[in-house]
Amino acid sequence: MINKIKLSACAMILGVSGFAQEVEFTEYDLDNGLHVILHQDKTAPVVSTSVMYHVGGKDLKNNKTGFAHFFEHLLFEGTENIPKGTFMSTISSNGGTFNATTSLDRTYYYETFSSNKLELGLWLESERMLHPKIDQSGVDTQNEVVKEERRRSYDNRPYGNLLSVIQSNLFEKHPYKDPNIGYMDDLDAAELKEFNEYFDEFYGPNNATLVVAGDIDIEKTKSLIEDYFGPIPTGKEVNRSLIEEKPLASVKRDTFYDANIQIPASILAWRTPSMKEKDAYVLNMISTLLSEGRSSRLYKKLVDDQKQALEVAAFHLPLEDYGMYAIFAIPLGDASLNTLNEEIDEEILKLQNTLISDREFQKLQNTFENRFVNANSSVSGIAESLATYNVLFENTNLINKEIEIYRSITPKDVQRVANEYLKLDARAILSYLPKTDDVK
Amino acid sequence: MKNMKNLILTLNAVFFLAFSTFAQIDRSKQPEAGPAPKINIQKPKTFTLTNGLQVMVVENHKLPRVSAVLIMDNPPAPEGADAGISGLTSSLLGTGTQKTSKDDFNEEIDFLGANVNLSAGSARANTLSKYFPRVLELMAEGALQPKFTQEELDINKQRQIEGLKSNEKDVSFNARRVRQALTYGKDHPYGELTTPESLENITLEKIQNYYNKNFVPTNAYLAIIGDVKFEEAKKLVEKHFATWKKSAVTTANLPEVKNEKGLQINFVDMPNAVQSEIAVVNSTNLKKNDPDYFAALVANQILGGGDGRLFLNLREDKGYTYGAYSSLGSNKYVSSFVASAQVRNAVTDSATVAFLEEIKRIRTEKVSEKELEDAKNNYTGSFVLSLEQPATIAGYALDIETENLPKNFYETYLQKLNAVTVEDVQRVANKYFKIDEARIIIAGKGSEISENLEKFTFNGKEIPVKYYNKKGIQVDKPEFNKAVDPTVTAESILNKYIQAIGGKQAVDNVESVLMTATAEIQGQKLDLEIKTTAKGKSLQVVSMGGNAISKQVFDGTTGFAVVQGQKIPFTEEQITDVKADAAPFPELIVKDARVMGIEAVDGKDAYAIALNDKTTAFYDMETGLKVKSVKTVTQGPQTMEVPTGYSNYQEVNGIKFPFTVTQSFGPQSIEFTVNEMKINDGVEESDFVE
Repeated sequence: MINKIKLSACAMILGVSGFAQEVEFTEYDLDNGLHVILHQDKTAPVVSTSVMYHVGGKDLKNNKTGFAHFFEHLLFEGTENIPKGTFMSTISSNGGTFNATTSLDRTYYYETFSSNKLELGLWLESERMLHPKIDQSGVDTQNEVVKEERRRSYDNRPYGNLLSVIQSNLFEKHPYKDPNIGYMDDLDAAELKEFNEYFDEFYGPNNATLVVAGDIDIEKTKSLIEDYFGPIPTGKEVNRSLIEEKPLASVKRDTFYDANIQIPASILAWRTPSMKEKDAYVLNMISTLLSEGRSSRLYKKLVDDQKQALEVAAFHLPLEDYGMYAIFAIPLGDASLNTLNEEIDEEILKLQNTLISDREFQKLQNTFENRFVNANSSVSGIAESLATYNVLFENTNLINKEIEIYRSITPKDVQRVANEYLKLDARAILSYLPKTDDVK
Repeated sequence: MKNMKNLILTLNAVFFLAFSTFAQIDRSKQPEAGPAPKINIQKPKTFTLTNGLQVMVVENHKLPRVSAVLIMDNPPAPEGADAGISGLTSSLLGTGTQKTSKDDFNEEIDFLGANVNLSAGSARANTLSKYFPRVLELMAEGALQPKFTQEELDINKQRQIEGLKSNEKDVSFNARRVRQALTYGKDHPYGELTTPESLENITLEKIQNYYNKNFVPTNAYLAIIGDVKFEEAKKLVEKHFATWKKSAVTTANLPEVKNEKGLQINFVDMPNAVQSEIAVVNSTNLKKNDPDYFAALVANQILGGGDGRLFLNLREDKGYTYGAYSSLGSNKYVSSFVASAQVRNAVTDSATVAFLEEIKRIRTEKVSEKELEDAKNNYTGSFVLSLEQPATIAGYALDIETENLPKNFYETYLQKLNAVTVEDVQRVANKYFKIDEARIIIAGKGSEISENLEKFTFNGKEIPVKYYNKKGIQVDKPEFNKAVDPTVTAESILNKYIQAIGGKQAVDNVESVLMTATAEIQGQKLDLEIKTTAKGKSLQVVSMGGNAISKQVFDGTTGFAVVQGQKIPFTEEQITDVKADAAPFPELIVKDARVMGIEAVDGKDAYAIALNDKTTAFYDMETGLKVKSVKTVTQGPQTMEVPTGYSNYQEVNGIKFPFTVTQSFGPQSIEFTVNEMKINDGVEESDFVE
């Protein structure tokens, strides 16, 4: 009774005040094709300068993997005007923060400074785009660094090859089948010439989006951007064609052995549609429903109540061409991987056969709105969102509208998507086991 | 003619200027930074309720969220015999209201995805804007209509008393308390100490009275920031806060806070300390609205900021500590300067010298321009980035009101910061880092460090040492080092120990020991299994929830550890360390043990014996049993001491073993209870191979 009253009270509040997020931005192209997005926010004298290149792990060079990630490192080596080894120290000695990330679809570089250092940020990013130093010594240095990263992040880290195993089982032809960091043999075999060609192919202004967000004067910033980025010549046109995968038609089983673990893990994995589809958003919601927070369905059942799992996580990795959905569980005590899979399947069947309750649905909506709102609470967060929506979704205004997609999702959508994509008879069932000496 | 020429020249200059702004930029050089930005902080719209509550609303519709902060800027008042009543009242707020049960109250806040935190002097809420009306209502209900129950009082009182007791041996905790008591005086609200007795003194009636007296709108400010229209916020505030009853706040007469003349050492003996807490402190009257405020920030940053001089000297250069920092408070009543670090026992006096030298240096020499620039950059960066969060903006708006700041204090923050000169830094260092009136408060192990402190000199002057107990009361110098009877040797102590646990014959018959034990950390069960053999082999497995999280295997000559699934062979040094413990009774394989003295362990005298370079063990003088051991462990740049306590001896096959083993890591300690102890059973050769 009490719950009912509360619910109707909430519904009323919902009806009264609508959603009011409005991130204003200006976007335009330079003559050389560079897409520019400016967002003015005078709350704090902070400016974030960032460039997202539409190149990622899926963009191979002569069938060699790992190039985009390699460039994430290589493009910190220095430029014609920034001596080797001083790119990063220039940022920190000016009180700035920076980072760079590479996904299978895109590469992102950013710096945040106090707003009086806007020009410094523009200089750094335009130098990187115009004339970075790509020479054998830089390639050799970064090859060692990347190998070290591969050891730390993949080969020496417990469960470090989990994603690679999922990728290789969900894709046969599409480059999503290969790890983002690439195969070391490919990088060892890569020649300097290939790196230079790759730069010319993917790092032109016409394949990039520059975002300047924060306490800026729009007109002055436009003119500075023209000064710094205008003279950069247009690159080659980037041609992409979707490599199509046939839908999974049956259950695929595979086993992987990891020398770094003592407790096995079970993974159930599905291929999902492109991140641009509404159903991809529904899948994000299903992940939250299943495993985010202590009251989520799988966590509560397997970890809290039954104590059969040490950990359970459902996650959706939405990507440009396809996505991946996986549920990962580590058993506790004597629970077998099979038992865990059966328990998880029971929850999937429940999603497929029963509508989620109104209160659960509303809590889900609240969680997503909170998350969405907080993702945009800093200018660097807004800058990355703007760049991502522009480069991968081709719709910058999603920064204001994406939440409407979530709000349009109904309990019926959740049920439909669970039926359509989380099929028990068309998926990968993967056993991720400890490697012992008798297993070769 | 001449005029004409001038005109052309001028025109040229103007054109030239105009052209030059459009000229190609010089990208060969790093661009110069523009002038320090002016801060645009939105001015709040304000109104005052008739009950005195001052409300400020900062509209910001960029994100659909709202935060509300209610603070009561009441002057500090002593709590006397009821010390701790404010803390206890805080923990009772939010445990139910006149209308709603605790569970229903919390569940609804969770469901809305909101946060509400209540305390005796404040209330805070964060929420999506669409739920703001309900969340503000919940916050008001929780804060203004609390229901204090005997049941919740009992539970919370018990919890806080337990908390105090569990901290009895915590060196940092006690050092901090004594520091407050000595800096401000025990009669000043900032120096008062909460004790189990003062908590016991607090009744439900007193809580209710305390709340009624202090939770009043007279000095209260409510800041509402975010996606809400002023008019709507006003309506809601009026609806939920207008009934809040007006009531006067009594201002207590506060004792004056003074520094004593002359530098002095105040020592608190903590016999269990493996590290000394050093703090150089003095009270100051620095206020946020002082003209010195910015110079003081910069001076403190250079001395004791994240990578300031103290850090570089005591950690990077000398390796005395994991971190050494200073802080300089600002407060409209009274505040303090504190430079502090935790250092290992042996370097307590050297570290104290290093502290004093650094404070002296910043007072007598100008800092470098580079240091000044870095400190300013640092403050600029963190100030600027902090401004992005609405909570900070709310805090600043409140600051302006409560700290009597000029309205443009934060707008001009960076200009004032940047105006600080090296001369300013030196001037304020002399004013606020009062080395001639400072107390060096050290909490540590007297038996190891007091001798050197008694000889301590600075600037050629002897520094007096005064002794205090944990309650901040001055005491006579405790007796630290009891003389050991010359007839007592390491051999005789160890023999007595073997005798005490069952005798040489019984011990010699032991070929292997299997021990399993369990501990609980934060609700998680931790299992420990140790196997040792008389042939010098050992195995140690720590598991959580049935899965091994770490494992150490030693076969008598070589071994390895498995941590998080990774196998790492032992280094030479680790082999030496593991070897010393790889025996059912390590005392039987000891060479060159040395008697170190007599020390109290849990109030009972024990002989301290150095078994090797890294381990000291303690044997009860009366029973002969081993009661404690302390191991020196090096991790990265830090060397620390890990004590293990042994108690609850029980007999197994005629030999006594400790069934309770307590290990401490800094302030944390884990108590293992032994489940099983097997002799010559359950241990196989295969346990010690891969």
